Amino acid sequence: MRRLTLLAVLVVAALGVSTMVPAQPKVAEVLIGSVLPLTGNFASLGQQYLWASQTVEDIVNNDYDIQVPLGPGKGFPGLGGAPIKFIVRDDQSRGEQARTIVEQLISVNKVHWINGEGTSGITSLIQPVVESAGMPLSCHPCASPTLTEKGLKWFFRTGPNDKTMVASVFSFLKEWPERGGPRDLKTIALFTCDNLFCQDNRKVATDLAPKAGFKIVLDLTTKTGATTLASEVQRLQAANADVLFAVQYPAETVVFENDSKRAGYMPKVIATSNGAYSDETWLQAQKKTNGAAGWLGRDPTAIDLVHDRPAWKKVNEVYKKYSRGQNMGELAMREITGLLWMADVINRAKSVDPAALQKAANDTNMSPEQLIIDYKGIKFENGQNVLATGVVTQVGWDGEKHTLWPWDLAARANFKPIFPSPSWQERDSKPKPGN
Amino acid sequence: MARLALVLGTLAAILYPIPLQIQGTTYYQTVGFLVLITAMLGVGWNVIGGWAGQFDFGPQVFFGVGAYTAALLYVKLGVEAWLGLLAGVAAAAVICAVLTYPLTRLRGHYFAISTVAIWMIAQPIGATWEYIGAAQGLFIPMKAHAGIVGSAVALQFSGPTKALGYYYSALVLFALTVALMAWVERSKLGFYFRAIRDDQEAAESIGIDSRLYKVLARSITAGVFAAGGVLYAFWALSVFPEQVLELNWSTLPIMATVVGGIGRLWGPLLGAVILIPISQIMSTTLGTGPLAGRGIDLIVYGLIIVVIAAFRPTGLLSLPWARWFGRRRPAAA
Amino acid sequence: MTELAQAVVNGLQMGFLYALVAVGLTIIWGLMEMINFAHGEFLMLGMFGAWWLSAGFHLDPLLAIVPIALAMYLFGMLVYQQLMRRVQGGDPFTQIFATIGLLFLLQNAVVAGFTSDYRFVNDTFLQKLGGVRLTLLGVTFAVPLLLAAGLALLLFLALYLLIERTEFGLALQATSEDRDAARLVGIRPQRMFAVAWGVGAALVAIAGAILVNFFSVYPQVGLQFTVLAYAIVALGGFGSILGTLLAALLVGVIQSVTVVYLPPAFKDAFVFASYLLIGLFRPQGLFGRF
Repeated sequence: MRRLTLLAVLVVAALGVSTMVPAQPKVAEVLIGSVLPLTGNFASLGQQYLWASQTVEDIVNNDYDIQVPLGPGKGFPGLGGAPIKFIVRDDQSRGEQARTIVEQLISVNKVHWINGEGTSGITSLIQPVVESAGMPLSCHPCASPTLTEKGLKWFFRTGPNDKTMVASVFSFLKEWPERGGPRDLKTIALFTCDNLFCQDNRKVATDLAPKAGFKIVLDLTTKTGATTLASEVQRLQAANADVLFAVQYPAETVVFENDSKRAGYMPKVIATSNGAYSDETWLQAQKKTNGAAGWLGRDPTAIDLVHDRPAWKKVNEVYKKYSRGQNMGELAMREITGLLWMADVINRAKSVDPAALQKAANDTNMSPEQLIIDYKGIKFENGQNVLATGVVTQVGWDGEKHTLWPWDLAARANFKPIFPSPSWQERDSKPKPGN
Repeated sequence: MARLALVLGTLAAILYPIPLQIQGTTYYQTVGFLVLITAMLGVGWNVIGGWAGQFDFGPQVFFGVGAYTAALLYVKLGVEAWLGLLAGVAAAAVICAVLTYPLTRLRGHYFAISTVAIWMIAQPIGATWEYIGAAQGLFIPMKAHAGIVGSAVALQFSGPTKALGYYYSALVLFALTVALMAWVERSKLGFYFRAIRDDQEAAESIGIDSRLYKVLARSITAGVFAAGGVLYAFWALSVFPEQVLELNWSTLPIMATVVGGIGRLWGPLLGAVILIPISQIMSTTLGTGPLAGRGIDLIVYGLIIVVIAAFRPTGLLSLPWARWFGRRRPAAA
Repeated sequence: MTELAQAVVNGLQMGFLYALVAVGLTIIWGLMEMINFAHGEFLMLGMFGAWWLSAGFHLDPLLAIVPIALAMYLFGMLVYQQLMRRVQGGDPFTQIFATIGLLFLLQNAVVAGFTSDYRFVNDTFLQKLGGVRLTLLGVTFAVPLLLAAGLALLLFLALYLLIERTEFGLALQATSEDRDAARLVGIRPQRMFAVAWGVGAALVAIAGAILVNFFSVYPQVGLQFTVLAYAIVALGGFGSILGTLLAALLVGVIQSVTVVYLPPAFKDAFVFASYLLIGLFRPQGLFGRF
């Protein structure tokens, strides 16, 4: 009995101690709360965003001779040289965990900005929390159009959404015949996984394919985590569409490749709206098999041309310090571009006051020269960067991506498209760049 | 003694978020929310798992049924959340009864896999059925409601009392669940459930229709999960198939129940009070900074679970608490 | 008609791979009735082991089977002796709890050690045969999958003989049926359980070493295979090794035939729906003893 009373007193005392409010210090550092899927189903995406944030923290806080926002000099000049600090947290690819962490970042860590979550589904879950707290939230690689269609005042995305990116694939296919491409591409088959990302792309494609002059002859939604796609390949083979529009993650893409090879299936064109096409490890592995040669995909930038930009190279060197030597993939580029934009906003706001940050973000008018990526600049309407662009690239026999569209960039890239998509025998017989 | 603990516990639960509100660290309120929702689901799962002794790995289906029912009613017909909650609970209980009755022919592990089967069938339905939003989910439009009463009625809280409102909503639902289950436990129903668990043949020989009572037990569990799902939907303001049908919604409550002690009314609460803060503390200390992204926090969390399981496989409520704290404590089960 | 025949053949080929994953489970869960939520993680460890030996030491996954199986046999024994032996003292549900902890531990230990990158094994013996096909009456057979199927059959035969034809196997069965009675005739049940866990872990790791030839490797790879494996063991019937094999083939065929005509998103749903349907008529699985 006495012990129980003691326990009760202890509980009350603990509650009392926890109420003592610590004094709010002056802005010594700018805190960015970053919630990412670092374990669980989306971990392979999350780790790239982690490396991106480490890269940007390094660039902002240290003196780098790189022509990007906050490259030269240490810290934020607008805030008396205060450094930036990312508080990175793992949500295990789970919605309720992400939301709880965001509340912690806001109410306990007192961060000034939330970045994340890297996947559109969970981002839409944390949007209401951050919106109601009145604090900027950004997710640059999130591509779901719905995120910026809810009329939110505190959400910003510098990257293109799926509408822009899928549109670039179909613009290319539509304009290709006039630029020396094949004239007999008439039918298309959609081959997408069943989660939000894939289905967003599928929706846009169902809308755009007929407008680009394609007849959809098959529309297959597959199970995420499929262990076999042999029957799906059988159906694709029977439908015999000229173009295969595939949105699949790396694991399923490998299953698809194996099953296609067994069945001898190869359409004339494989156009992806990424998934595996964004994944550096998948792309690198394909160099050993020629598996990706001839695949098309959309990227936010002309990946073969960015290498010429001195800023890109230098940022990539920094990135490689954190990524165990992996080059920036397109997702990492989108994220780094966005985070550098965020640093620029904070610097211009000269304050970490949310209203000032919001105003500075909305006032953004960045020119393409400040970016490591081919956007036409950064300028917002309803939280969406309206100058974000899509680029269509194709993997060549060298295993690298080459720009095919828009045509001005393609002219600079000067790459002869691979058409038709080579057969499996041809892939096996050609030399492999990875060996 | 037990009554005093109950009174003190209730007081602590009610007072807990107040200092946090004053201080502004509303995150701890959300941790409390997660503890309560997990404990509530655990109390619900205890009925089929703990009392009726049936392996049920698929109650998250009814978490989804609840979330979808209430969200659809709200989005398509403008039905308020609490009515949606009643509808969700009713829908889940009925759907569960219809689905489970034929499955009760299966026993033990065969029954367990049949509950998994329903979950595996529910997933693609959620992911592809356009009317309920398919993979693109359902959004519950954010609305600011006038005053505390308005927010409470609509189950939509915003602004600085957001986390507080959801905490108390969860507390109310948890209290209702516990009260209801305490009644079930002491009623004939509870006796029948336990009789089936202890010896199905013997139970049948004294005239208990084991199939009927298994269905009833599972429908009660389904109802509690549906209520949790509705709460979750209005907390998250969205329903995505892969989020509401996540396996975690059954494994976490089961884990909490096991830690606390299976078949004990307060077991799930004790388990949730231990497991959820541990995972939060691990994530806050070992999951960030230079260690971020390495899963170290989850390794340690897994290790803690393994150690608890090895050290006390019968649950923490089976420890001799009475000997440690005061004289007697009536067994909860 | 050829379409259907091809789908059946594809399904059978996959079925053998599923059988490989299920065979370890049929001992730990099917025979000894212990629940292991970390079975998928054992598979993942096998796959990572094969990848590591292939990438680091150029050891073909088929040869890597030997060291991996040995290592995982010891690991399985360790898991039983240090963890599951104690857990057996509690409610069966505690096994779920304990092995979920194990799942967190193993999956994230691999994340910590190797990151969450997708890994690919290249230039293996089976992959070099990747495009080699046999065509019979318009139906194509993939040679690498046929070889994998042959390995699966061998494993099943070995296991069948071990369980049904050796004294050890009989002791194992006796333990699973009645621990106390087994003790009376001089069997040490805990030793039996430990060996069962060792054999189960070794078998699923062997499956992993074969699967790396066809699938990418990442820390979360286990679940998609093990969900099917659970269905297969239950469908085949507890304690029946032959049942597991036939159920695995059936599952492969159900998947591939339904998807030729119906929405592929429901691929696994069809498998589980079939389980429910069959369960209504055969509550003890196709070949279950109880």
